[in-house]
Amino acid sequence: MRPENYQSFHQPPSHEYELFFGPNHPGIEGNYALRVQLHGDEVLRARADGGYLHRGFEKLMEGRLWIQNIALVPRICVPDPVPMEVCYSLAIEQLGGLEVPERAQWIRVMQLELSRIAAHLFTFGGHAATTGMYTPMFWGIADRDLILDLFEELSGGRVYHIYNIPGGVRRDLPEGYLDRVRKTLEYIESRLPDYDNLMFQNQIFVRRATGTGTMTQQQALEWGVTGPNLRATGLEFDVRRDDPYLVYDQLEFDIPVEEAGDAWARALVRRSELKESLRILRQVVDRLPSIGGPIRAPIPNPLAWNLPAGDVYTRVESSKGELAYYVVSNGGDKPYRVHVRGPSAMHAVQVLENLVTGGRVEDVAQIMFSLDACPPEVDR
Amino acid sequence: MKLTRPTQDQVTTGLEYLLQQISGMKTRWDGPRRLRVDLASESLPALLELLKGRAGYVHLSAISCVDWPDQNEFELVYHLWSYEMNVLIMAHIRIAREPGVYVSVYDLYHPAAFFERDIHEMFGVFFEGSPDMGKFILTEWDGPPPMRKEFDGEAWVMEHFNWQDYQPDWLTDIEAQGGGITTRPEELRHRNKTK
Repeated sequence: MRPENYQSFHQPPSHEYELFFGPNHPGIEGNYALRVQLHGDEVLRARADGGYLHRGFEKLMEGRLWIQNIALVPRICVPDPVPMEVCYSLAIEQLGGLEVPERAQWIRVMQLELSRIAAHLFTFGGHAATTGMYTPMFWGIADRDLILDLFEELSGGRVYHIYNIPGGVRRDLPEGYLDRVRKTLEYIESRLPDYDNLMFQNQIFVRRATGTGTMTQQQALEWGVTGPNLRATGLEFDVRRDDPYLVYDQLEFDIPVEEAGDAWARALVRRSELKESLRILRQVVDRLPSIGGPIRAPIPNPLAWNLPAGDVYTRVESSKGELAYYVVSNGGDKPYRVHVRGPSAMHAVQVLENLVTGGRVEDVAQIMFSLDACPPEVDR
Repeated sequence: MKLTRPTQDQVTTGLEYLLQQISGMKTRWDGPRRLRVDLASESLPALLELLKGRAGYVHLSAISCVDWPDQNEFELVYHLWSYEMNVLIMAHIRIAREPGVYVSVYDLYHPAAFFERDIHEMFGVFFEGSPDMGKFILTEWDGPPPMRKEFDGEAWVMEHFNWQDYQPDWLTDIEAQGGGITTRPEELRHRNKTK
């Protein structure tokens, strides 16, 4: 029997609900979250929610010596750490007026491209996994491991190498290293048909990715999209060619471009870029034996190294897009200010929010992985 | 789309001619593709509009904030890139540290939303007209803006958290044998700082 004051609770007819997507979700890259407002399985609104990986790097760097920060910077992006080291080192070299020896520049390019391949393999796997295919993920991680072996042999670290330092690189290549690089390149190239069979010619993947998360070139430019995601909308731009650093102007490579601007186009651009990286690496491996000389420029005592006052903005092309460091020195032995501009600061926040809106909930994870967003770059 | 690019000389003369339209501005080339511009904070929106409309500066790469407590100023640096000119322009402005308010450039550059929100969170600079000044990274933080120079992270920890004595049996055993590492509060770096 109902109590006297009973009133039936009238729920307005609505099918809207909020879903917390992450921070612990297999479809989220790293610790990152999206708050998604849904109607059925249609996404009405999405808000990115970051900060789970904030470690205050920019503040920490202000309290450490120029050289000490080399150990901090690779931690800003775990899957692709080498561009971080190189970009920071380039900034210090420009501030301090250091000339990097040619051999060190070539070794750096080799490191950067190996890291790009490793990051792209990782992304292939992640992207495929969001469509329900787990085999490319296992393959990608296993093949990436071979590159990590090369890093380990060179620097002692598999993920954080701390190998590029201001003025050059920490140590020279071990004996027979280039042969092992060449062998790994051959192996990865021989694996590409397998990836094509399993993933890039797989109709399940192609149909899921085609038309998902589409943006036009105009939208991409408006939202600050860079890197492979921008090239997937048809704009042929690459920092390596158009704002060259190190010895990229001496290397031959193409800039793969796709027109569609959807998840499929982004996957294809990465696939072609991997091939171009292999091409660059072949040239580097052929050229390196003929380039002798020192591997780093002499630097003053790093524990009492005052860089001249000034500021510099250095950019490199990481596997995710345009990575930049704004470094200010006030003439002291520590940076006065370091600002890290990670490409994912755009991709994982407003681009992701815009692209998932109006789509379906099962595509959210795929869109995030197809943008190759790296949350630690957002939080820093 | 294949871009046809002007030569370096055309870019240099073109940009310098264009920038003459804004008065009271200092320009300096920091390399072939880096142009540094110092200007008054009132002129920045006009400069951005000019660059976006006339020189193809569609990409706002970043907005950086630098705190200069000695001059009582914040320096805001707008890094702009043109896919046609291939020259990076760094526009430097200074704003007063108090009250620390500036206008948003969101209507010209959408990426500004992220950077302005970030600067508001980390430095406490308010951008009028920015779409969202809510918290993003430091969601549960109610202290002062942490990237300001006067904020000392270690001192904050010492003031706001209690030192806890953690002395389990297994650690006592190790210490009895001469092992273990303990850092007492008085041994921490910031206590020994002479201020």
